[in-house]
Amino acid sequence: MVGGAEKWVMMVTAQTPTNIAVIKYWGKRDESLILPVNDSISVTLDPDHLCTTTTVAVSPSFDRDRMWLNGKEISLSGGRYQNCLREIRSRASDVEDEENGIKIPKKDWEKLHLHIASYNNFPTAAGLASSAAGFACLVFSLAKLMNVKEDQSKLSAIARQGSGSACRSLYGGFVKWIKGRDEDGRDSLAVQLADEKHWDDLLIIIAVVSSRQKETSSTTGMCETVETSLLLKHRAKEIVPKRILQMEEAIKNRDFTSFAQLACADSNQFHAVCLDTSPPIFYMNDTSHRIISIAEKWNRSEGTPQVAYTFDAGPNAVLIARDRKAATLLLQRLLFYFPPSSATDLDSYVLGDKSILKDAGIEGIIDVEGLPPPPEIKDSIPTQKYKGDVSYFICTRPGRGPVLLSDKSQALLNPQDGLPK
Amino acid sequence: MAVEAEKWVHMVTAQTPTNIAVIKYWGKRDETLILPVNDSISVTLDPDHLCTITTVAVSPSFDRDRMWLNGKEISLSGGRFQSCLREIRSRASDVEDEENGIKIAKKDWEKLHLHIASYNNFPTAAGLASSAAGLACLVFSLAKLMNVKEDQSKLSAIARQGSGSACRSLYGGFVKWIMGKDEDGRDSLAVQLADEKHWDDLVIIIAVVSSRQKETSSTTGMRETVETSLLLKHRAKEIVPKRILKMEEAIKNRDFTSFAQLTCADSNQFHAVCLDTSPPIFYMNDTSHRIISIVEKWNRSEGTPQVAYTFDAGPNAVMIARDRKAATLLLQRLLFYFPPNSDTDLNNYIVGDKSILQDAGLEGIKDVEGLPPPPEIKDGIPSQKYKGDVSYFICTRPGRGPVLLSNKNQALLNPENGLPK
Repeated sequence: MVGGAEKWVMMVTAQTPTNIAVIKYWGKRDESLILPVNDSISVTLDPDHLCTTTTVAVSPSFDRDRMWLNGKEISLSGGRYQNCLREIRSRASDVEDEENGIKIPKKDWEKLHLHIASYNNFPTAAGLASSAAGFACLVFSLAKLMNVKEDQSKLSAIARQGSGSACRSLYGGFVKWIKGRDEDGRDSLAVQLADEKHWDDLLIIIAVVSSRQKETSSTTGMCETVETSLLLKHRAKEIVPKRILQMEEAIKNRDFTSFAQLACADSNQFHAVCLDTSPPIFYMNDTSHRIISIAEKWNRSEGTPQVAYTFDAGPNAVLIARDRKAATLLLQRLLFYFPPSSATDLDSYVLGDKSILKDAGIEGIIDVEGLPPPPEIKDSIPTQKYKGDVSYFICTRPGRGPVLLSDKSQALLNPQDGLPK
Repeated sequence: MAVEAEKWVHMVTAQTPTNIAVIKYWGKRDETLILPVNDSISVTLDPDHLCTITTVAVSPSFDRDRMWLNGKEISLSGGRFQSCLREIRSRASDVEDEENGIKIAKKDWEKLHLHIASYNNFPTAAGLASSAAGLACLVFSLAKLMNVKEDQSKLSAIARQGSGSACRSLYGGFVKWIMGKDEDGRDSLAVQLADEKHWDDLVIIIAVVSSRQKETSSTTGMRETVETSLLLKHRAKEIVPKRILKMEEAIKNRDFTSFAQLTCADSNQFHAVCLDTSPPIFYMNDTSHRIISIVEKWNRSEGTPQVAYTFDAGPNAVMIARDRKAATLLLQRLLFYFPPNSDTDLNNYIVGDKSILQDAGLEGIKDVEGLPPPPEIKDGIPSQKYKGDVSYFICTRPGRGPVLLSNKNQALLNPENGLPK
């Protein structure tokens, strides 16, 4: 044993992306194991723009498991956290950190406690699926820390028990969550359909829509839909399976027209079954509807779809453009209809990959004000604008899966005492 | 032959109500004959508050069929008008007006031309189903003019060819439009389930919601839904038939709890299939959603539903209250959340049966401003209000079917020349 052994701290830092479903998960057949009523398919977003960073640390000096999320300590007593911790711990194996002279045999893990610090680089209130990225990162980083020898799909089955959509964040690119058949959920896991380089023309613009209302949580909402919507069963049984096959084909063939038609239809149908719930759930608001109208009008005027849209359990629009040119034209339209509030700097209004502003010929607010109406608007009535209805935009792209961060300065916990920096 | 026979004008004036569907009609199996994909059930609204008045006149001096709607001449060349005129004319019989010495033989009708003037006492732009009332009135008044010897259901089958929902305005109270099976549509007609006295506790409040956007027409919208929604077939085949039976039972037994549950569920499902359409159709807006939330919250806090809500192809809310007391409490809530603009007179803000304002203890704007928040709002956060989001409210009740108006002052055409007054 090395001197001062009781005080050693071993830690690992990882970064995990978030993802957006294009064929939606909505409805569980098992609440505790988080088993869904249908398959789902997602696109992983570039963690350069949206990600969760998690540092996990273990030390004999820790007296209990603790977690900090975005700097604030939170409870780990909930079922979802306990499930993930238990599943990962039971798969821990021997760990040796030669550099620091730390050895943890497999049997020691059950007695050791963990400190976990997690940070999202996007606001939780923005409705951007922070729990997916968060649980995926927790599971991935713990698996690295504890030298868990499971493949990524098996890890996804563990992440799934923290948050359903988290399982899809264990891979980059295009991911499918197979619903599975087993009662114990061992076959309900994520697989990669194609990596992030497969279709790298695609560009993604997210419109973070201003929304004051507190939304129905996904967990509550989908439970109510399962219990009260007469349309959901039909969707899950008859409609989604066919769409999953068609979407896999579309992704494989980089067939944007099919991809867009399926993504938009499935987003709308998800919101349709939410409306068919008792009490009805409205995630999209008037701004969401206007964005859909803008996309639909443009797509129809071009003859072939330029952009796909999809909405999760909130009013934010995720717009997937066919290529950079389409994304640029899309951004011009969005900025035309949703100019920033007078007090907002353009630099704070378009986040992520800001280089797209240059492509769009927009350097400052004056350029936004000078944007012409889109050609597909035929009536001569001056078009109404909706200043301030969008909080900001994020430009991103399909991205890679979870990675370890070896740069110690990125760790969120102090290597000396395992407490938040 | 009487002196100046060629100049006689024979006319009839009738008044017809509008109706609101509680189990919705959305989708045709035949576009020309207007045959629906499912049955529907409606409540006829009191024509004292919302109605169409139509005067129809015939004279040998008329050289062509002409129609004026709300004072403006319109074309009768469209298929729907032509279908109604043809169907009624083919059923005309001998008419004798002894008082004026006019005799029209059955065979004369096909050579005679008609003048028609119609007037809605509610704005067309208010999205209050003016075509239902209008075409029903046209058919009813022409049937009276031409002494058509068909029963009301047969007349409804003719009105149906003008506008689907018009067939339900041929009766008062609670009406069912049977979808029918025959290809020629002869068995697709309306029957009365119960008259307007059967359940006279019910009070109806309509919120006319301010809306700038031009909506998708029902005709276009339902066709797009039939063509593109994968959920509609399932709704029409599996869900609506059961709801129709349950709704008939609920009406028969005056079971408000079942009535409300079915009405709200069917309204939401109708809007769900609109959302499931490509491109998606949004008839409800944020104000519509807020009204639903207000009602749902109150209903749940009372344990048993006090109010049912339903929305047609537009943002207006039709709320059906269990009884006058519930309607009064509802109105207080609606006025709390949607106070009138400062320059609006309360007298113009609540129209129809204004006596409900007295029940609610509201004589002027000050009383509205003094309304307390509803007790079911538990959080200490001051409630947000939405001044101006509702244009006005109409307070009404279930009402009678079409009637002849014998008072010549109410005729819309001049008895001398058959032209609009």
